[in-house]
Amino acid sequence: MSMPVIETIKLKKVYNPDKIPVVAIDSVDLTIEQGEFTAIVGPSGCGKTTLLNLIGGLDVPTEGSVKVADTQIGQLREAQLTDFRLKHIGFVFQSYNLIPVLTARENVEFIMLLQNSDKKEREGRSAELMEKMGMKEAMDRRPAELSGGQQQRVAVARALASRPKFILADEPTANLDSKSTESLLDIMSRMNQEENATFIFSTHDHRVIDKARRVITLEDGKITSDERR
Amino acid sequence: MVMGAIIVGVWALIFLFSFLNSFNEAYLRNAINYEYSHIQVHHRSYLTEPDVKFSITDKEKMISALSSNSMVQAYSARQLVSGMIASSKANSGVMIYGVSPADEAQVTALDQQLVEGDYFAEIKRNPVLISKKTADKLKIGLRSKVVLTFQNIEGEITSGAFRVTGIFDSKSPKINESVIYVRQSDISRLVGFEGVNEIAILASQLREIPQIEEDLRREFGEVTIRRYNIVAPEFDLLEQQSTVSKQMLTTIIMLALLFGIINTMLMAVLERTKEIGMLRSVGMQKLRVFGMIIWETLLLSLVAAPVGLMMGFVTNLYFGERGMDLSRYAESLKEYGYDSIYYPSLDNSAYYILMLVVVVTALIGAIYPAWKAIQLNPLEAIRKL
Repeated sequence: MSMPVIETIKLKKVYNPDKIPVVAIDSVDLTIEQGEFTAIVGPSGCGKTTLLNLIGGLDVPTEGSVKVADTQIGQLREAQLTDFRLKHIGFVFQSYNLIPVLTARENVEFIMLLQNSDKKEREGRSAELMEKMGMKEAMDRRPAELSGGQQQRVAVARALASRPKFILADEPTANLDSKSTESLLDIMSRMNQEENATFIFSTHDHRVIDKARRVITLEDGKITSDERR
Repeated sequence: MVMGAIIVGVWALIFLFSFLNSFNEAYLRNAINYEYSHIQVHHRSYLTEPDVKFSITDKEKMISALSSNSMVQAYSARQLVSGMIASSKANSGVMIYGVSPADEAQVTALDQQLVEGDYFAEIKRNPVLISKKTADKLKIGLRSKVVLTFQNIEGEITSGAFRVTGIFDSKSPKINESVIYVRQSDISRLVGFEGVNEIAILASQLREIPQIEEDLRREFGEVTIRRYNIVAPEFDLLEQQSTVSKQMLTTIIMLALLFGIINTMLMAVLERTKEIGMLRSVGMQKLRVFGMIIWETLLLSLVAAPVGLMMGFVTNLYFGERGMDLSRYAESLKEYGYDSIYYPSLDNSAYYILMLVVVVTALIGAIYPAWKAIQLNPLEAIRKL
């Protein structure tokens, strides 16, 4: 393992602080290093998704800080934070969230388009990723023509396209059957190895937990165990 | 839906504008060709005191000048006498136009407006042309005898017996209502004066009217020279009304379009909340999301507006050739000097202006939905079902 990619210090998130306060994350100190394949597990409502949202800069902590590489993301203005997400963070959503009018390949290229990459680079990277995902044959199909597993593979390719510092995946296998889950996990594990991509999942899927090399357990917003394998 | 609204709106505007244009042009054409001509010349005092004695002093010189002016298509010198026309059953106040039949036919096409009889033919002494309306009022017909009563040049009441040789039906309600035509030689003899009170001039081209006016003013200082829109201020009023009507129609249709665009694009934003949430989450800037919605609306209008313009153009081509038949309302239209068949037409510039107006409307309509889109919280948006 190498340098820390993510560092949270006394991270706290309280919903409805003025009415009925709900503590979703409570003083979480966490360090994730480059190339980790980490699962954040715990029962529903324990704060897994909130923690990912805070790390991803999609939500603002009530207290504490999130440092990605050398950047305190809490100190960034909205536009800077958006740009930071574009350049440094990859997202995989539970329900894929592909753009329905674009083909699988265009969905992957689109992130690079936002980054103003040139056409040659976009085409090369998307073709490479689609091949690695085993989606070469289906890359010209639209999301509606793909299975759930295939759509999630496109979503992973999209997340990897911009070569982010890390990828946040919120329950990536929740909508997939066993075979698709197995296939997706294999691909993500391979990407972790081949591209040295850092993956952080929230999950309660045991198949995902079994594949993870680090398992962080949350309960009531607090880390109760941090197991490296 | 946005495209449909734009297509129908643009088509409707083109059709309405073209129809309004043809309506106004028909009125203007009829009023000029059958009543006012392009220019009217009178003795300076005649307009304030319409007495037969106020005749154009340099008549011969003016007629000679008009005859040699290539910009003048036709002219008619008239002696105007106010009087009464009486049949054995009724009488009516009229304006007697003493004209040279050949010249008058050139200016007002009076010879082509006859519905009965002949144009100052057959009867050698005192023929009169009256309108169908006057004939009905006096309960007379062709070849009926009428008596015209008026003041002569000395101010004494004098009369003359005339024979109806023709009945016309003018497109001008005013002419139908109160004008009768006699030969100038006949009325001059009875009035005891040969002068003319009015010279009506038709220009070869509308753009030549100012030059003709200028030429006449330079040469004949003692007369009043008036253009048709000065003679009849309703022309300008009609023009202004038409402009206001077009502006109001455009405003109403564009407002409807604006709200249609806002509504539809808001729905589009609502339907794509999750997609917009994803775009914002993965790093699309607010400005880019805003631009995306604006651009999308703009594209819709850029596709739809030309279709609407084309449909309007084709509709104009069709009706411009065949005419829109409003014969069902012919009687009432005629009362106001309008035709019953219209040929819609529109300047090319109107198409460009409409295109621009639609694009601007679409842009304005897209602003609110685009603003709503960038107000979405990415985290909340992405959780929407």
